[in-house]
Formats: sequence, C-alpha cells, structure tokens
Amino acid sequence: MAPFLTAGPYSARDGEGRVLFDGLGIALEEGSLSVLDGPSGSGKSTLLRQLVGLVPTPAADRTLAGEGFGPRELPRWRSRVVLMAQDAPMLAGTVGDNLRFPFTHRGAPAGRPDERRLGELLAATGLGAIPESRAVATLSGGERHRLALARGLLWDPPVLVADEPLSGLDEDAARTCFDLLLGFARRPGHAALVVLHDRSRAHLADHRLALRRGGGGEA
Amino acid sequence: MSPLITLGPVELAVATLLVVAAGLISIALRLGIGRRLAVAALRTVVQLGLLGLILEQVFALREPIVVAGVLLVMSVFAAREATARTSTGYRGMMVDAWLAMAASCFAVGAVVTQAVVGVDPWYEPRYVIPLVGMILGNSLTGIALGLDRFLDHLANRHAEVELRLAYGASRSEALAAPLRDAVRTGMLPIVNAMAAAGIVSLPGMMTGQILAGSPPLQAVAYQIVVMFMIAAAVSGGAMLVVLLAGRRFMGADAVLRLDRLRSS
Repeated sequence: MAPFLTAGPYSARDGEGRVLFDGLGIALEEGSLSVLDGPSGSGKSTLLRQLVGLVPTPAADRTLAGEGFGPRELPRWRSRVVLMAQDAPMLAGTVGDNLRFPFTHRGAPAGRPDERRLGELLAATGLGAIPESRAVATLSGGERHRLALARGLLWDPPVLVADEPLSGLDEDAARTCFDLLLGFARRPGHAALVVLHDRSRAHLADHRLALRRGGGGEA
Repeated sequence: MSPLITLGPVELAVATLLVVAAGLISIALRLGIGRRLAVAALRTVVQLGLLGLILEQVFALREPIVVAGVLLVMSVFAAREATARTSTGYRGMMVDAWLAMAASCFAVGAVVTQAVVGVDPWYEPRYVIPLVGMILGNSLTGIALGLDRFLDHLANRHAEVELRLAYGASRSEALAAPLRDAVRTGMLPIVNAMAAAGIVSLPGMMTGQILAGSPPLQAVAYQIVVMFMIAAAVSGGAMLVVLLAGRRFMGADAVLRLDRLRSS
C-alpha cells in the first residue's frame, strides 16, 4: 500500500555548517501515529518546519493521499499538514480568537467551526472552565499547550505535526492529551507525526523514526 | 489690508540674537550642545538660503521640466530620510520607500493642484512645489513609522505570522495583521494633528498665510485641504510601502523569509 503522506528530500545543517541530515524522505502511514526521536540539536524542529513548508525547501516533493502539492500550493498543503509548533505560539487576543482564526482563512472548508465539537474539545483538554473571552496572555504554559492541541483537533486536518505538544503538562494531562492525539491519528484519512520531550510515552506510538546526530537519519 | 512687512538684513540680525541667547543658555548650564546648536543654526541659514535662491530661479523660469525635476529630487531625499532611522532594514528598502512615496504623493498632489486648487498653468511652481513638498514631508513620517513598525512586527511577532501560515493562511492573510498594525501607526500623527487642529495648535501653513496677509477664512480653507491631502498621502504611502516590503519577505509560496531582515 502506498504511504498516506510522502515528502522530501530534506537536508539541513547546524549553525556551524555540519550536516544534520541529508536527502531525508518522510513517509507516514494512514491511521497511524509516528514519533520522531533524536537527541536535542539533531534537527527535529527543523525537519518538522521543512515538512510543513514554513522554510524554503526547493528540492522537496509532497504528496498527500496520492495528490501532489507544488511550491505554489504550499498554503493549501499547510492547511492539511498542520504544524503545532514548539512552545504553542498564540495570536495576541482571546482563547476564542485562537480557536477560530483558521476558519476565517479563504482556504478554509466550512467557514465556521462546529460549536459542539469546540465545547467537547475544551472539556477534553481540561480547559472547560476557561471562558472563550479570556486573553491568551493570561494562560499558563500548560494551558497554552492544551489550547494549541484543542485548536489542532478542532481544525481536524488530515495530518497533525506536533513539536513537543506535551511539554509543561503534568502526568495526568500529558496522558489525556497523548490519548487525544492517538485517537486523532488512528482514524482513516488521518495521521500524526509527533516529537516528544519526555520519551516515556513513545512506545505507545505505531512507528518510531530516529534522527541521529551528524549521521543523517531514517524515516 | 495693511501692506506686507518685509524682512531685511537688520530684522534677520535681531532674530540672530535670539539663537545667540539660546547658545548662552547652553553655555551657562553646561548643556554641551552649544557647538551642535551653532552648526544647526548655520545649516538652517545655508539650506534655507539655497532653497530661497533655487525657488526664486524656478519661480522665474516657470518651466514644467524644471518643476518636475525639483519634485523628483525632493522625493528621492524624502525616501532617503524615511529609511535612514528604521531600527532594521532590508535590501531594496529605499527603492520601496521611494516608489510608495512617489506614487501616493504625486497622485494626491495631482488631485489637489489640478482638481481642488485648479492651478493654471498646471505646473505653476508657486503652488505646486510648496503643496507637493508639504505632502512629501508628512508622508515621509507616515512611511518611516509604518515601515519601522512593520519590520518590528516581523522581527518580534514572527511566531504569530507563522502560526497563521501553519493553518493555511495565504500571503495576504498572514501579512494582514502586521499591515494593519503598521498603517495604523503611520497614520497616528496626522489623525492627532487633525483632531487637535485649531484648538491646540495653529497649523504651520495657516500661520504662514495669515502672516502673509491672507484673510483667516481663506487660510482655514487651505489648511483643511492640506490636512485632508496629507491624510490621504500618509495612509496611501504607508499602505503601499508595507505592501512592497511584504513582497520582499514573502513570495507566492508564502514562506516568511526573516533571513532577509538585517539590522542597520
């Protein structure tokens, strides 16, 4: 069976010009969650940013469910292969703004989020008590990460790419959020690629990919 | 109307005593700016003197090509000033500033001189040069503030821009927030000036016209035209320069190229 997502080749060097990885390709299987492993400084975040096309990758090809995406279709690709970036960045504004803004983009499918789903996700991520009018600047680090996850799941793209989505969460919250990601990824027409800060949960993933320092990697 | 009071060498010499008084204060208080004050005062005399001589010639010649040349030179200097003090920069910033400045100022200047004031002939330097000069001077501020704010937004809030991109935003959607932020900042001075006009300050041009003997209501009419034309030129110039700058940092693939930002 052909992979659900294929992308690459990707190459990167570190600040001193040493090769982190070279000619690396990524393939994700439908209905699976893959964990990307590697020591810090091995280029995991760089690889994720290249995969979603937030940095120039002139040599790369991308396909999702058999459909190819050229350089001019990068915005459409990004709306389907969504990066949940490190440190859970937020727009200045309210919790509601941050959950809803993707649906205001021209490329958005329906135009507005499913309100019932939105409520369910806030409850599931433990944010049920926080009003949508609250300014995100007042949230704790853990709350921001949970909000970023709720936003990703509400948008419900075919592929979520998450860079340390569980950092700042206590053990219970981390387990709940990881289960939400697993539940997301193990559906038909979906997949996820996740970098985990704490690797104790990595054995629960369907696939493990490793980047090795200085020696390129396999994925 | 009483005849105009003209200023001669004696009057200017008396005025010089005023700036000398300022210099004495600097020396007495050891402000250490006596030298800079002297240089600045000298520059005022030399620069304005040269301008006066050039304007006398240009007004006398009344040649459209000469008027156009003066306006062109003014716009290039304005673009240089607009980009001289931004905290960060990028390759081609001055070109963008000049394009935005020229497009907005010459468009607004054309409307004002031709349709509102009805200058005849169309290049009459006595009207065209001061009016366009005033537009340039003010849109310079708007463009400089807007550009600085835009670059600052990209440098310090790039995570927000990339967050939008990560959820499929197009180039214009990703740059909408920095653009609004920048144009708003660029327009603040003229909005404040319009709100305070006549209450807090007598605007410069009106003051000048009243001193030159115009009836106050006529001076007011000109001042209103000037305020509105500045508002149009500032908003147009700030928006254009940010659109041009945005194209340098994001191509059709909507990848934010922060590596093109350099500190200056």
